[in-house]
Amino acid sequence: MNNLANGIIKFKWLIIIVVIGLTAFLGYQITNLKIDSDIISSLPDDDPAALLYKNIGKEFGGNDMGMIIIETDDVFKKEVIEYIKQITDTLRITEGVSTVTSLTNVLDIKGSVWGIEIGTLLDEYDLPDTKTELDSLKQRVFSKDMYKGTLVSEDTTSTLIMFTLLPDVDKQVVARTIKEKISELDIPAKLYFGGLPFMMNDIADLIVSDIIRLIPITFFLITLILFLAFRSTRGVVLPMLTAALSVIWVLGAIVLFGYELSMISNITPIILLAVGSAYTIHVINRINVTYDTDRKKALVKALTYIIIPVILAALTTMIGFVSFVFGAYLEIIRDFGVFTALGVIFALLLSIFFVPAVISALSMYKSAESIEKDKKNKRGFINDLILEPLNHLLNKHPKYTLSVWGIIMLISVGGIFFIQREVNMAEYFKKGNSTRITEDIMQDKFGGSQPVFVVFKGDIQSPAVLQMMIKTENYMKEFSAIDRTQSIADLVEEMNDVMGEGKQIPNNKAKIENLWFLLDGQDIMPQLVSDELDKAIIQSKFASTDSKLLSDFVVYMDDFVAKNSTEECQIEVTGMPSVYSQLDKSLINSQMSSLAIAIFMVLLIVGLVLRSPVKGLFAAIPIVATITILFGFMGATGIPLDIATVLVASVALGIGIDYSIHIITHFNHVYKETGKLDTAMEETIMISGKAIVINVFSVAAGFLVLIFSEMVPLKNFGILVAMSMIGSGLGALTLLPVILILHYRRQERLREMSNINTQKIKKHIELKSMVN
Amino acid sequence: MRKLNLSVLVSVVMILISFSVNAQDANTILKKMDDVMYSPKDMVGKTKIVLIDKAGKEKTREANVTQKGNDKRIFRFTAPSSQAGIAVLSLPDDVMYMYMPAFGKERRISSSVKSQNFAGTDFSYDDMESKPYAEKYTPKLLPEQDGVYVLELTPMSPKSTYSKLIVKVHKTNYYPTTMEYFDRGKKKIKEAVYQFTKIENYWNAAEIKMTDLKKNHVTKMLMSNVKYDQGLSDDVFTVRKLKQ
Repeated sequence: MNNLANGIIKFKWLIIIVVIGLTAFLGYQITNLKIDSDIISSLPDDDPAALLYKNIGKEFGGNDMGMIIIETDDVFKKEVIEYIKQITDTLRITEGVSTVTSLTNVLDIKGSVWGIEIGTLLDEYDLPDTKTELDSLKQRVFSKDMYKGTLVSEDTTSTLIMFTLLPDVDKQVVARTIKEKISELDIPAKLYFGGLPFMMNDIADLIVSDIIRLIPITFFLITLILFLAFRSTRGVVLPMLTAALSVIWVLGAIVLFGYELSMISNITPIILLAVGSAYTIHVINRINVTYDTDRKKALVKALTYIIIPVILAALTTMIGFVSFVFGAYLEIIRDFGVFTALGVIFALLLSIFFVPAVISALSMYKSAESIEKDKKNKRGFINDLILEPLNHLLNKHPKYTLSVWGIIMLISVGGIFFIQREVNMAEYFKKGNSTRITEDIMQDKFGGSQPVFVVFKGDIQSPAVLQMMIKTENYMKEFSAIDRTQSIADLVEEMNDVMGEGKQIPNNKAKIENLWFLLDGQDIMPQLVSDELDKAIIQSKFASTDSKLLSDFVVYMDDFVAKNSTEECQIEVTGMPSVYSQLDKSLINSQMSSLAIAIFMVLLIVGLVLRSPVKGLFAAIPIVATITILFGFMGATGIPLDIATVLVASVALGIGIDYSIHIITHFNHVYKETGKLDTAMEETIMISGKAIVINVFSVAAGFLVLIFSEMVPLKNFGILVAMSMIGSGLGALTLLPVILILHYRRQERLREMSNINTQKIKKHIELKSMVN
Repeated sequence: MRKLNLSVLVSVVMILISFSVNAQDANTILKKMDDVMYSPKDMVGKTKIVLIDKAGKEKTREANVTQKGNDKRIFRFTAPSSQAGIAVLSLPDDVMYMYMPAFGKERRISSSVKSQNFAGTDFSYDDMESKPYAEKYTPKLLPEQDGVYVLELTPMSPKSTYSKLIVKVHKTNYYPTTMEYFDRGKKKIKEAVYQFTKIENYWNAAEIKMTDLKKNHVTKMLMSNVKYDQGLSDDVFTVRKLKQ
């Protein structure tokens, strides 16, 4: 370590130049940073339901479906029909849009005595304008399932315009263009934009707005707290500089490795600002309190001491983040874990190489004067108001303190049973957010917006397959949350009806092939059946976000598939219910596995470093207690486990364990030197405790900024991590000392007893010898 | 002063003349093109329709075509077997009948939407209509290019799905070489490339390659065994005949 420390001082200028160069290079990369708000693409390929959903979405264009809702008092009015046409026409000529379906251009198959009319519901160049025409349109719309509740809500107040996007277009760009173009039309009715392209666009906007608003606030808050704590420019500038550099490096690395910023990884900068400054603070603190004959020697001495503890602190924090890699369902969470861990490495490297190099190069040593001043003013308000009374309490009432923790833990364990889970994406937006409002309207008036697909593989033109599709649709509609379904089989039935043979699937293939001739080339066909006619889908929507109902539906459909899928007609079910149901299951698995990995690794490392498994266990107690309280709190407040809050426990563990490590090492050190329990504990609390309190405040403040996040899971994530930081800080300052006090008192008592015993024996021997 | 007036007058006249020559030219060129395309009294032949998707996969259909004038036509499909026997009869005034052999029934089809594609091809009902262009479009002459006149056609009907067509007409033979279709957003959405060969006294569109630029989908229509002026009677183009 000494060599390393000497090396750092020797090559200080090289280090500084490398850091400046890397920062310029990686900083430049950030100009190409893209935002990935495509939730669908983050679904894992190793989950069959999710993979099928992705593929079906690509193949049949369902994932790229967007919708615009017009809400007025009555859709069947001349001017409203005119608005629909305006929007339809605008969408049609928008670059990137593939197909548009609305009341003014929807496919309509009419049968009459003289023949078939395949056309559109309305003649778009002769729109209905009289009351009779509008009434007859209304009648027609409400006579067909294809329109009722699909294009026009049953209360006639809203109508839907659906569109699909061409493959390989930038969905966000198209969505934005559409929004701009539609708003230019200045339509005097309420318009809502829904579907994945708009949702992605919204998420991307929220990510950007979160970053732009929250990073400066976090930066300012932590700077302020550090300034209040250290009252020195150096104590603020260097930690914030390393944190900022690690943020720049990580964002640059994300671009360099070909990744994008997601709705989870956009909190990486905030986490790094909060966590990354800590290592530099440790390094500077150590340098501040190390004195030697010459400044350079003092610096080397300080570095030699601090490198290992800082690496240890960073390592445990990294483990917290890396633990997601193994249990996460969504790729964005894995990426988040990896890149945040990388950021922690950057912050660590900067604090042990760059910070000493800068101090040495710029001679930013503390002046002898201020060292003197420091010695005098060592005690600040934190010591007087918090630590002194705390020390008193711990020494006087260790058992009471332990009991209080015990009671809180018991209550928390009870709360764990009330933890809810949330996987529905719409709930991730705040109430009042436009995406959320649109989702609500879709749910109220158009049978939901969560796609359900049933995929059929076989000869789609065979009567057997088409009849099975009809049977499946009927079965689906018996489930409460399925209102309507759509498939090629419906169209074939309808065509057969207009040929005068009844609303049913014809019983020979030749007839189906004949009917197909008319359907070929219709816009809707590629959304329902593959080009090779070997695959077709039933499209439906799920009208509830209730987790229980979602998983019930998956079981309900699995049962049907098991009974009806054959070699000639293979049936598979996918869609958001299947994906959400998997996501829901994965939340618990992910929580368990990441937490187990994190606890195991931390115990192992801390045990190894402290060279005592028992002390490793002691160090883990406060953080395990904190996590128990965290889960209890989630149960009590109704903050659900979701894709972001599932990360809290491991993050809290990784960061919070540092406090325990500091307390135990410091205590060990002094106890070994003095052999006095009281003195050891007092010094530990007064010195390490102060650092912990400052760190808890700055980290918690950093995370609390997430309260202002536009996304509900991130907001909850911030609250919960901040709470956990306070919890693990308190745990390290109260629970751990109490355990140590009780442990060592017992040992001392044992030692005393054995001393007394030895003395007794000695006396006994002496007496005996005297007698003899 | 008089001199000046005269020169102004001369130049005005010259401009007017050049305008009228221009306009006349555009109309004449379009008329001549219509003549080349629609002059045979009748025609029989075989057509092969090749559909090529964006991955390059091809699907083929074959049909016998019988046509009289420019408003009576029968397509009788022969391949693939799933469509063999299906026949489509087009009569004046957008009247269409379709015969479905599996049902043994014919039905009148109304294609109220001209922009819909015809039977899975990239040709819309509008494109398939063999009504003279001069009756549907107002032409404007654009600067000519290598061996072709370039016409910009604006639809007369406000119902057209197209905002304009740019047509290149062969300078000596007056058949179209390409047609470009623009949507109402003035964006090129389709392109047809023609290849004409001379059969008997007429120029025949041996191959029309229509590309849907949005879908990246291509339809090729290839004509063979073409015979002109067979003296077909109107009787051929009846619903009764359609069933046979």
